[in-house]
Amino acid sequence: MRAGEKDWRARAAATVVWRDGCPRLAALNPQARTTGLSVHMRLADARALVPDLVTADGEPEADRKLIEALAGWCDRYTPWVAVDPLGSALAEEDATQVCSAGGFGGDAGLLLDVTGCGHLYGKEEAGERTLLADLVERLARHDFTCRAAMADTAGAAWALARYGEKQADLFCPRNGQRDALAPLPVDGLRLDPPILETFLKLGLRRIGDLYPLPRAPLSRRFGEQPLTRLDQMLGRVDEPIEPRRPPPAFRSRISFAEPIGRSEDIAAATSRLLAALCKQFEQASVGARKLEVALYRVDGSVDRTAIGTSRPNRDNPKLMKLFEDRLGELDPGFGVELMILSAPEVEEWTGAQDHLPETGTPAKSSWHEDGTIDLADRLAIRLGVENVTRLMPHDSHLPDRVQTNAPLATPVQAGAWARIAAMKGTRPTRLLQKPEPIDVTALLPDDPPRQFQWHRHTHRIVSVEGPERVADEWWRPRPGGRLMPANIVPPVRDYYRVEDNDGGRFWLFRDGSLNTAKWYLHGFCA
Amino acid sequence: MPVISPKDVAPPASRPPTSKLSAGLREQVRRLERAHTAQRAGRSAVPLDLPEIDALLPDGGLLAGALHEIEAGPAPSGRVAPHDGAALGFAAAILGRFTPGTILWCRQPSGVFDAPPYAPALAAWFDPARLLMVTTRREEDLFWAMEEGLRTPGIAAVLGETRAADSTAGRRLSLAAEKNGVPALLLRPQPAPPQSVCTTRWRVASAPSPKVAGIEMLGAARWQVELRRNRFGTPSCEEMPSWLLEWNDEAHHLAVVSQARPGSAGAGWRERLAG
Repeated sequence: MRAGEKDWRARAAATVVWRDGCPRLAALNPQARTTGLSVHMRLADARALVPDLVTADGEPEADRKLIEALAGWCDRYTPWVAVDPLGSALAEEDATQVCSAGGFGGDAGLLLDVTGCGHLYGKEEAGERTLLADLVERLARHDFTCRAAMADTAGAAWALARYGEKQADLFCPRNGQRDALAPLPVDGLRLDPPILETFLKLGLRRIGDLYPLPRAPLSRRFGEQPLTRLDQMLGRVDEPIEPRRPPPAFRSRISFAEPIGRSEDIAAATSRLLAALCKQFEQASVGARKLEVALYRVDGSVDRTAIGTSRPNRDNPKLMKLFEDRLGELDPGFGVELMILSAPEVEEWTGAQDHLPETGTPAKSSWHEDGTIDLADRLAIRLGVENVTRLMPHDSHLPDRVQTNAPLATPVQAGAWARIAAMKGTRPTRLLQKPEPIDVTALLPDDPPRQFQWHRHTHRIVSVEGPERVADEWWRPRPGGRLMPANIVPPVRDYYRVEDNDGGRFWLFRDGSLNTAKWYLHGFCA
Repeated sequence: MPVISPKDVAPPASRPPTSKLSAGLREQVRRLERAHTAQRAGRSAVPLDLPEIDALLPDGGLLAGALHEIEAGPAPSGRVAPHDGAALGFAAAILGRFTPGTILWCRQPSGVFDAPPYAPALAAWFDPARLLMVTTRREEDLFWAMEEGLRTPGIAAVLGETRAADSTAGRRLSLAAEKNGVPALLLRPQPAPPQSVCTTRWRVASAPSPKVAGIEMLGAARWQVELRRNRFGTPSCEEMPSWLLEWNDEAHHLAVVSQARPGSAGAGWRERLAG
């Protein structure tokens, strides 16, 4: 598939990339293929064959981005969209290892698993045919030439899209792939080039030629690949499509006859989608942890935005409130023709039952009953999840490790803080994130401090409490990743609570052994 | 270095008895203010359990639906202290009076010397598991987060640590607090210009702890607390009533230390320091 200028259509054209020390063809249009050119051919050889070949510099990175964007656009049909691994491999360095994906059209491809998606367009097979036609037509509107085929298996669709001769063949009816594929060239089997070459030499030109061959000699001669590919194509072996984005279990979509653009309309549509999705959640007894709304714009581009919640949620008004901030960031462009709301992350519902009066009194220790969690979600959307936290206690000797910031969903045991506070001595009300080095005067090296200097101000110490000795935790790995050697005495800190002549109370500590001791200010006491 | 000393103002130790007329006017103004406040929803005052202070506060305690400001005051020597451990302790003591529910604590980290509140100490006043900590970079985000918190049911109190003095934000906070009956506290690490619409404004400085002759041990923490603004409250005989509070860390008890000369708070220890 390739968007191009008009005069490319009529003449042989190719893109050129520099590879293996000379310019080579990277992608060809159908006219170029009929003249006998092939991918990886040197540009000099190609010019000898087709003197008026139109060439352009290949941009593998731009091609990759384009195919990614197209894959995003295809999410409108199904969440199971994958970029064809063979097609994308062509843009890479060792592309010679990949089979020559020839036939009609270009090399890059998309695989869509539309199982169960056809019903949006009609009943049974008719719906699937309409879906296929709709896909081709919409892509053509955006000036893409594409060939789309539909079959029971990814392999069959791949071969049909590239080598199917007649337009009518491109839709392969259910269980019809054996007959439909028989007349296609073996290139359609997605084989490695050496195997393909041998096949051609042996006169195995059509896929149908392989059907009557005994399997054992075939695998002995060529390895597993031809049989695996054949089985995948005929549906004897499962070939899963690895989707580009993990497909959400829950989604709802709404398409508009007339493109919409006003933010009120988008909000109203989001609210309707949310209502439908919340009903799905309720049936499946789950709640959303993450929701994503995608706008499919008329120009073929997609804009997405997501919200996260700190607990499984299916409360329509609350989720809508979270979306309200985000919807403003979305750009409807020239108009939105389709919106899809999906829930990439869901969790088992832990909250209260819907539409039922409270019965009994469940443990209300958590924040879930009051509005705190919802408040936290609102704050996190604007300020970032890392900035909305709760304080988590840790059993540790080191004062800086006792308190950590934890995400909201983490439960804090009741009374854990009181227990920790009761175990230790008096602690400062503020703890410096990084202890500040200070100059301390003491009578003797292991005497309590007499005065200290911090920020060019001398604090004369009037009274002292301490020391409280805190030993380093030798069982924890050092920052370098190694444990402390057993024969070394772990460093200790001697903490003092001091009061200066101004009434200020500070928390100081002496670090290291007496001779090389350094003093630090670590906190401010009440 | 800015030197701010509230003690330079001579304490009105013996104010002459106010004239009958002015007393009548005062009473009238108070009644008007009361009538105004009675219309507001969610009015309830939480006593601090300090009889001397509660007597002056409206309805005998801190109004729940109101904005209160606590600023760290200068040290007795007049030097502006680089820390506000005492003011934070006083704020935590106030927060501990408001139960149950979540306490929303919003702060702007101050770069390299950032010293966040330390939960093992806060546990003396309330369970730190009740805290929802929010850090913001911009002050408008901080005020927004506080307002959101005030509007949320289940929030017991909202505290914001900031140096910013934005009178519009203060008015908004005050209105949101009044509407929802949730107290909003502003904790300022340094004295701020008096312009906000707070109901009470406190200035807290750490004071020397009690000394026992011959022992160099650190006694209970003491704070010099000054009530600089007391809207709707009972007028005091002083311009700015001031108390010396003592926090007993073992008994978890806050009490007013009776001084030799009530009304001239802190004179005692000032003399001792000078001598």
